[in-house]
Amino acid sequence: MQLFYLLKNEWMLSFMMVVLLILKVADNGRSHSSWIRIFNGLMLVLCVAGWLMPTVEGEAFGGMFFSYKAGAFAKNLLCTGTLFIGLIGEDWLKKTRHVVEFYLLIISTLMGMCFMISAGHMLMFYLSLELASIPLAAMCNFGFEERRSGEAAMKLILSSAFSSGLMLMGISFLYGATGTLSFAQLTLMSSYEPLFIIGFVLLFTGIVFKLSVVPFHLWTADVYEGSPAPVTAFLSVISKGAMVMVFAYILYHVFGALNDVWYTLLYVLSIATMVIGNLFAIRQQNLKRFLAFSSITQIGYILVGISGSSAEGFTAAMYFIVVYLFSNIVAFGVITHIASKTGNETIDSYKGLAKTNPFLAWSMAIALFSLAGVPPTAGFFGKIFLLKAGVGTGNFVLIIVAALNMIVALYYYLRVIRAMFMDSNENAIQPLESGLSLRIALFVCLAGIILTGFAGSIYEYILNLNVGL
Amino acid sequence: MDSSVISFYAISAFLLTFGVMAVTTRKIFRAAIWLLFSLIGIAALYFWMDFQFLAAVQIIVYIGGIVVLIIFSIFLTQMSGKDMPQALTSRKLIALALSLGGFAFIAHFLAHANYHESSGLVDASMPAIGRKLLSVETGGYALPFELISVLLLASMIGCIVIALKKAQEKP
Repeated sequence: MQLFYLLKNEWMLSFMMVVLLILKVADNGRSHSSWIRIFNGLMLVLCVAGWLMPTVEGEAFGGMFFSYKAGAFAKNLLCTGTLFIGLIGEDWLKKTRHVVEFYLLIISTLMGMCFMISAGHMLMFYLSLELASIPLAAMCNFGFEERRSGEAAMKLILSSAFSSGLMLMGISFLYGATGTLSFAQLTLMSSYEPLFIIGFVLLFTGIVFKLSVVPFHLWTADVYEGSPAPVTAFLSVISKGAMVMVFAYILYHVFGALNDVWYTLLYVLSIATMVIGNLFAIRQQNLKRFLAFSSITQIGYILVGISGSSAEGFTAAMYFIVVYLFSNIVAFGVITHIASKTGNETIDSYKGLAKTNPFLAWSMAIALFSLAGVPPTAGFFGKIFLLKAGVGTGNFVLIIVAALNMIVALYYYLRVIRAMFMDSNENAIQPLESGLSLRIALFVCLAGIILTGFAGSIYEYILNLNVGL
Repeated sequence: MDSSVISFYAISAFLLTFGVMAVTTRKIFRAAIWLLFSLIGIAALYFWMDFQFLAAVQIIVYIGGIVVLIIFSIFLTQMSGKDMPQALTSRKLIALALSLGGFAFIAHFLAHANYHESSGLVDASMPAIGRKLLSVETGGYALPFELISVLLLASMIGCIVIALKKAQEKP
């Protein structure tokens, strides 16, 4: 029975995969909207069950799988985020071919992330990372008619193969230095031996590649631009969220003894990430590219929080992921809706949106305010906590750079808002009809953006999750 | 220097030569064949280490399966017989310098590392490997084994969807 709760998200996801496969084999002629209803229904059940079922801490399969409270929280969060992405992507999904296959790929990716969060062994970590990235590349290719979609898939698979190569080399060095691959023993045997440090740095590089930290960010903008909008949303929200969680966990709990090594790495990388991400975001015209660079910058802020190397750092990073998930899903919801109805993705085409589609424009504005960190949205509190965690180390240079970057970021987020609210445009986007599921997803996430900031209990809840670690 | 050391260096020289040829040749089909030989070299290294089962798997999976797949996919593309374009000399030089520098850096640390004595002999016999793959106890690999099957399923679905031709629109 313990195993039942220990692997709750994982077994539910695999069960869901089997159900979808059987339904597909049994009845191939089902309509798209019927598949969408089935997926949303199953996913909703999964999320509710995931939140309601008790969380058990412990390990299974001889230490291969390790469950802890913060990880269980992150898994439930990722599943819920995927449910919302399914809702905002409905317009697009109705038009795409192979809707079932899309769902199967998204579920297997999600399963990979769940196993990755709970990995207790380098082998499990590597395999689940692959499970979380190979199907994702196939999903990027789902804009079959467009050349740029295939290009995005190719870029994602090549860059992830390269980063996996680096990571595997690092893992083999770690094995050479210690003779073990299990996290528990690596923690005990970690040392300042050169071989161990090189192995760690290579592993670190592989992970920050997936997080698209500068200078490993070159694939991000092209992949985000080329993929269909719901896939971009999944990439930037769910995939990033899972990676941040795993990254913080591995740094804090497996390589905690190498604290000063990774502090230096994070110090340099976070400054580079924030500055370069911001500078490129200013220049973007395409909204998906714009959000790609914006997400790079946000990762920079998260690194500042993680560098605090305290329980607050971990909590601040997780709290920020919650806020980031809500804000980005709203932003991508609007972009997906407009792109699938009209095909417009540039900032210029959003001019005058507030007059024709006030609801979409306001949703987008609130999401962007939250990403920029303007009070009273939750993004403000998320950033405060990250900076506060970063101050813990007494490195004020890092905090000043981060704060200056947040001001620059305000400029380009406001640029989009100005286009929507102040610029007039004769051929503004016509009033669009938004479906029920899109409206539900947007309302819930907007409520999330506001409430997560004011309900202090959410932050405390996350802080308490980490006590057991 | 005894015969074992000599054979190790011979195998390594074989492996590295074909590895270098695989990445420098300009005909893609030849690259696949040189890759085949360097994979045979790796199988020989496993035999040299007395890991017969691993060597057999290497031959069956990599040489018999993956290289054949690569060759098939090369034949399916149109450019199989043509020379690939020559890279710029400046780029070649940069790539050479970077890879040599990286190699020297890593080799330096590898040569000076303190390796730990392996704790006890590894039982690499086939029954032991089979039991480990299905064991859920400490040191068992049942969970990663199952995870690989999910990964394969997902990859197959992805490949089929990408390769599938557009279905005829229903009237």
